[in-house]
Amino acid sequence: MKCDDCQNLLAEYIDGETIDTEAEQITAHLITCAACTSEFEALTAEQDLFARYDRELEITPAMWTAIQARTAAESRPVVSSSKFSPREWLIGLFAAPRFGLAFSGAMAVLLAAIVIGVMYLRTQPQIAPPGEVVIAHPPGSVPPPPIFETRPSPVKDKAIEQMPSPYIARSKNSGGSKGATLETSRRPDQNDVLFSDIAYTEIENKDTTNHIAQAQNLLRSIRSIHLDSEADEVDVTYEKAMSRRLLDENVVLRRDAETSGKYPVKALLGDLEPFLIDIANLPDKTTLKELRTINDRAQKTEIVAALQSY
Amino acid sequence: MKRLAQELSLEGQPGAFAASLMNSSADLVARASEGDQEAFRLIFERYSRPVISFIYDLVSDRGLAEELTQETFVRAFRNLGTLRQETKLSTWLFGIAKNVAREALRGRIRENRHVDLDDKAVLDLTDHQPVPVNRLLNKELNDLIQRSLALLDDDKRLVFTLKIFQQCSYEEIAEITGFSIPKLKTDLHRARSEMRKRISPYVRFES
Repeated sequence: MKCDDCQNLLAEYIDGETIDTEAEQITAHLITCAACTSEFEALTAEQDLFARYDRELEITPAMWTAIQARTAAESRPVVSSSKFSPREWLIGLFAAPRFGLAFSGAMAVLLAAIVIGVMYLRTQPQIAPPGEVVIAHPPGSVPPPPIFETRPSPVKDKAIEQMPSPYIARSKNSGGSKGATLETSRRPDQNDVLFSDIAYTEIENKDTTNHIAQAQNLLRSIRSIHLDSEADEVDVTYEKAMSRRLLDENVVLRRDAETSGKYPVKALLGDLEPFLIDIANLPDKTTLKELRTINDRAQKTEIVAALQSY
Repeated sequence: MKRLAQELSLEGQPGAFAASLMNSSADLVARASEGDQEAFRLIFERYSRPVISFIYDLVSDRGLAEELTQETFVRAFRNLGTLRQETKLSTWLFGIAKNVAREALRGRIRENRHVDLDDKAVLDLTDHQPVPVNRLLNKELNDLIQRSLALLDDDKRLVFTLKIFQQCSYEEIAEITGFSIPKLKTDLHRARSEMRKRISPYVRFES
């Protein structure tokens, strides 16, 4: 084994991530090579140094108490394995109710949920019941900016227009005047309100919308390269870099969507990911054949249409 | 560090007691997902330290790390039913902790409450001569590592802390972060180089 190869693999070797044959070669090389042994010792010394890192963090009983208070209300009683007793059941029917900690906790959480819900609804613009047409913007008119926008700009307005807000859903079956944008509304999901920070949900939606818009642009750009170019090879350096950035974003947003239970968004991002991976892995100078394969698959799966309809 | 890694995984431990087997991660998860608070308390006891350490490495704020650890375990409790059998509990918890920390950091950036760490300001040690590693006081060492870590970008810090401090395998890191193995290897390599560059002016290793 050469010194360069050995030094490239030393960190993985220390981490125990090299395959057996590589590990054997490195071990053999280290016996004979002073320079690599010195590098190995430096890396080991660093590991030892990091092992001494003490954050001086304490797990206080208060932490568990706080978690218990929040989870107690949600925990279901453990199912008893004892036999069913009609006598005990009858006694239970007439027994006085016991208001234990769990019940108090549940009431506290319920009360907090109602207060948060009321406060939240009061901060929202007036919305009509589901299915009812709220706003019909004639072509060219500017819709009122959402409340979280402090500095409206044309670019942002466009992004927001495409954004599937949890409170305003776009109706596809407009049936109204041509070009008019119809918006219907639905009530915010109370579980969403409890589960995560409202502001964060807005940020997440905005991030996802921007991300999807950029992914659409990328796929269109790949398509246009293919159509316009007559050369055998095409330079896709820019598209690759963009795809790599979008891929990282996509993974984060997909996981966020999964965590917050937004499964349609998660599925859409999941469908998009293979395209981003393929584009990111293209050679800088790629052939039209490779681009055509990606385009064909994009057409077959209708990914651009799916992104558009988001 | 190795002890910590062993604590994280009871599987394969020679001479594991029957009681330990009864309280294996899988058993605790099964009981906790049926609402058994005691089982969930044992999960918290077992994993709270690695989780809070991991979160602290990401957010560099003690109080916030405590809050986010609580949030991590509350979310874990709510979603225990979604934990797949083949997923290690520690990997799953780190995944939740990563999301929770990322949300908090995003919020902090949006609110412009984050502090831009500057190399010179952060690593302002009075004596710039490298000190032999064994003469470096624990507090100085902790400060040095914590501040160097805070200067890494998010992805590198995430990968570095999972590998170096939490001893996760590449596969586990990929599962937690969603990064591909080549990406996380590159990030880890760069993170190691950056950490070395920041620490070496202050520490001298002696054989």
